[in-house]
Amino acid sequence: MILPTPEEKKQWEEEGYLVFENAIQGKDLKRLQTAFDYWAEACKEEWLDSVEAGDSVATFYDIPNPLEKDPIFIDIIDYPSYYGALMAFTDHDLILLGPQVRTVAPWPVSYTGWHPDVGHDNPLHIKVQIYVNDVERGGGEFGFVPGSHKPDAGPYTRPTRQESMPGHKAFPGKAGTAIMFNSCGWHVSMDNHSDVPRKSIILIYEKRTPGRVGPEQYAAISAYCQTPERRKLFSLDG
Amino acid sequence: MPRIDAHLHVFTKASAEFPREISDVWPAEREEPAEKLLDEMEKHRIDQAVLVQMAGASIANHRYLLRCLEAYPNRFLGIGLVPDGHPNPADHMAALTDNTGIIGFRFSTFGGPRDIFAKMDVREFSAYPIWKCAAERDYVLWLYPNAINAHLLPYLIQEFPQVRVVLNHLAVCPGKGKFSWDAYGRPQIQVPGYNLTMHTTYRLARFENVNVHLSGQYAFSTEEFPYKDLAGWHRGLLTGFGAKRLMWATDFPWILEEPGYGKLTTVIEELLPDLSEAELADIMGGNAKRILRFPDL
Repeated sequence: MILPTPEEKKQWEEEGYLVFENAIQGKDLKRLQTAFDYWAEACKEEWLDSVEAGDSVATFYDIPNPLEKDPIFIDIIDYPSYYGALMAFTDHDLILLGPQVRTVAPWPVSYTGWHPDVGHDNPLHIKVQIYVNDVERGGGEFGFVPGSHKPDAGPYTRPTRQESMPGHKAFPGKAGTAIMFNSCGWHVSMDNHSDVPRKSIILIYEKRTPGRVGPEQYAAISAYCQTPERRKLFSLDG
Repeated sequence: MPRIDAHLHVFTKASAEFPREISDVWPAEREEPAEKLLDEMEKHRIDQAVLVQMAGASIANHRYLLRCLEAYPNRFLGIGLVPDGHPNPADHMAALTDNTGIIGFRFSTFGGPRDIFAKMDVREFSAYPIWKCAAERDYVLWLYPNAINAHLLPYLIQEFPQVRVVLNHLAVCPGKGKFSWDAYGRPQIQVPGYNLTMHTTYRLARFENVNVHLSGQYAFSTEEFPYKDLAGWHRGLLTGFGAKRLMWATDFPWILEEPGYGKLTTVIEELLPDLSEAELADIMGGNAKRILRFPDL
């Protein structure tokens, strides 16, 4: 397990995010890209039908139940390059809430506005966004307001335009880049004015609280979770 | 400041003089005339209203709407319909807007790619000539997009920033097969608990020419009046669009029996209790007067 350096810990505490360039690379990145593209294509028509029925959002889509579709989607949950930091920041008491294996279409407007996901009364809530393809500036890259995760930060209001958020930082990156952030912080998907869909995976974690995720949630993948660490991460033993 | 009901319907009995389509909900003998509406408006201090055509899109189908606009020119403005697949929509729209009081047209489809990942050329959308005509003649476009059309809107809005756009009924985009009528004869739209429109139509707040109706709550809510489960939707629209781009409406006559016209005149105060007096006045009529250019009373 690769634990965070003192500098990384300091940045996490003060700014609320860390960037892991080349977090996933080589054969693993290729496996991830292949599985992503295969299942995105395989699930697309069903998603369009669901959009037409008013049951799914038109501006992005998530591959349903990805952990059951390819083991690479399980392997990235506790991937060594960022897993140590996740464990360190949650006192080695981490659970997975869920993955979003997401394709976001180029669109004149971003599909979401600036927001935090949770309030400060929530147990530590962390997301890791992994770029599956290269994401250029102006290509729907992740945006974050450093320091906005702190209880005394702000107040913040949502600007009409993504780029108008005071103090924000945008994070273009190469495929395989992982961005870890405290979900109390204000974040967004910047506008995608390119003609390239943004392919990314958003992994959602939280510091464990009893009963937060039931053992049935990930029962379907228990065969891939043989170590005590994984069983705990996926809440398989309650 | 006037109080304006910014979206409702009136119709009379089907006849040779006023031909219209009929259905189980609006059979030939049913009438919900302008005078009945005016009685309700009088009782509840509503000054003006937008009459939206229903029960047919042909020129002849618009006769009753045109009669109402002619009879009460200071009280009403009108929104018309264009027949699907009309070979020359510009001519149809022109024929209905020659000093008639009809200021725009209502649509739910735009004729572009179903798949948001497809190449988008707005000039190839079948609705392009309609938007072009609206831009040239200053029509208002009154939109209630089907769910599969929502992603097409910003391309048209970008192309025609001068067109005034009004998204109907909380900017909801109904899904295919999700429409029904309830026991009170009201439209019901089944929507997911998670508000999908925050990722589509709510995102159009960036475009200053886009406005939204705060109306149709009864169709989406799972609760009785005042539909408190939709308070968050109202707050979201207020945050995104601001109080200057929201318009209250009742969707008369569907609401006459339940919850009743009078109750709906208070729905904004119920769902957005923190509005200032000025903001409330804007939503209850000031915005409709300014954006739709209602005449002075």
